[in-house]
Amino acid sequence: MIEGFRLGIFSRGTTLWDGLDFAFGDAAAWLVAGPPSSGKTLLLSTLRGERRPDAGDVVVSGESLYRGNAARARAWRASCGHVPEQTVADARLTVGDLFRRSALAGGGVRESERKDRAERLLEMVGLPGASEWRIAELSISERVRACLAAELLRGPKVLFCDGVVAGAGIPWREMLWGLFRALAREGNTVVLAERTIPERWALAAGDAEPVGPFRVFRLPVPGAVKGEHG
Amino acid sequence: MSGPPSLWWIDWRLSRAALVRETIGRFLFFCLLGSALLSLFLSGGGSRFLAGRYAITAVLRAEVPSAEAEGLARKVAALPPVRSAAYRDPEAAWKEFLRAYPGLDPLRGAGGNPMPGYIEIRIRPDRLTGADVGLVASTLRSVPHVEQVLAGEAWLPRLLRAGRVASWVCWGIFGAFLAGFFLVGRLQERARAVALAGDFSFLAERGVPAGRLAFYRAAAAAVSGFLLAAAGTAAGGGALFLFLGNDPFLEGVIGPPSDLLLPRTVAAAVLFSCASALLSAAASLHGWRAARSGRK
Repeated sequence: MIEGFRLGIFSRGTTLWDGLDFAFGDAAAWLVAGPPSSGKTLLLSTLRGERRPDAGDVVVSGESLYRGNAARARAWRASCGHVPEQTVADARLTVGDLFRRSALAGGGVRESERKDRAERLLEMVGLPGASEWRIAELSISERVRACLAAELLRGPKVLFCDGVVAGAGIPWREMLWGLFRALAREGNTVVLAERTIPERWALAAGDAEPVGPFRVFRLPVPGAVKGEHG
Repeated sequence: MSGPPSLWWIDWRLSRAALVRETIGRFLFFCLLGSALLSLFLSGGGSRFLAGRYAITAVLRAEVPSAEAEGLARKVAALPPVRSAAYRDPEAAWKEFLRAYPGLDPLRGAGGNPMPGYIEIRIRPDRLTGADVGLVASTLRSVPHVEQVLAGEAWLPRLLRAGRVASWVCWGIFGAFLAGFFLVGRLQERARAVALAGDFSFLAERGVPAGRLAFYRAAAAAVSGFLLAAAGTAAGGGALFLFLGNDPFLEGVIGPPSDLLLPRTVAAAVLFSCASALLSAAASLHGWRAARSGRK
């Protein structure tokens, strides 16, 4: 369970939001929708333990991320996967490099196993044989899917995705819908931050919980018991 | 996959091509530096060269029998600063004189061999100091069989000082090359840290502390620095061994090839490798810090 208590963020000389409560249950897929510049990326950074909130606290499995044991906070971050909003920072790398450093972050894995799993993951996200492709030569959609596949290589318990659904594009929504729900069904937690939720997803998710400038949806997971959220 | 990531050789895992280039360059540099170190260590700067050309001559009295003169030479050879002491009887001395000054044979016809016997004493290169030369000379002067001791004591201090200065200059140049290695290494480490900044921030976002990254990078740099320095010194020493075996002049200046295998020479090479490891680690840490402060 990832909980945010009375979270507040001050940015660009102003209060972006304050006093927000969140609760993301385990083994579920969550989508936080919010308008541009509402602080979705900051929220994900705060939940991952990257950015200390200016007010409030984040608690993971009963332990404060920012006021608790630093080693446990690091362990939490190590257990998280993160697909950021796409930038050109990694443009010099190849898709294979993304998998190599993801494997490095995840601990020991044999090279042959990494390559084998990378190929299967790339095939799953519609990029078969893309290992040698340079990031600079990929479209935004391809970058998003390559980064997502690289994060999945480590099998993170919690996956944070920033703008992945919008970035991947409409043709890949069904794949992502199935993927996120499958991850949740296997006991993982997925937190998505998007400007809007695809219409079909919203219909399936039902009513959203309004939290400050955000709307929090819990995506239906086949065979799972519905939990609570903020 | 689980457990904390192993950060050993992380640069190698992230950027092999650049590291291979740097490693080859460092190995070649260590070959040169290692052979320079061994040459300097064995030659003692200019000590061995000077010691090869300097000799103390103890001129013996005319009536000293050969057996006693040889016994005296053996006693002198046993003195700690002495490398060798050889007795030349009057006949050998006369022949040497004639070789040096041909055409003076008639001098002998008048009253027999005018040359006395003498003992030629060579000092060990590492003991060629004013104090040790003075010790040998004063010991010889106290022997009744010795008529005169020629030790060049008037000009020896100036020569030894010049030798010391030459030695300092040589070691200074060697130190400058080591400092150059550190600066170039620091630049390389910094460039690599900048190039891999994206990977390092990726790892930091996933719970890998920056301090741990820096530590493991420096530790890997130290280990590779030690191994490269040891391998480079061994290769440079091997080349030196071949050169010394084939060039008598070099052997006279630096020393015999067998000295390369002496325990103290090996110990010097190990110390040099340890110093290189420390310098490599320091260059890595400095490069890392410079890259991070440059990013801010």
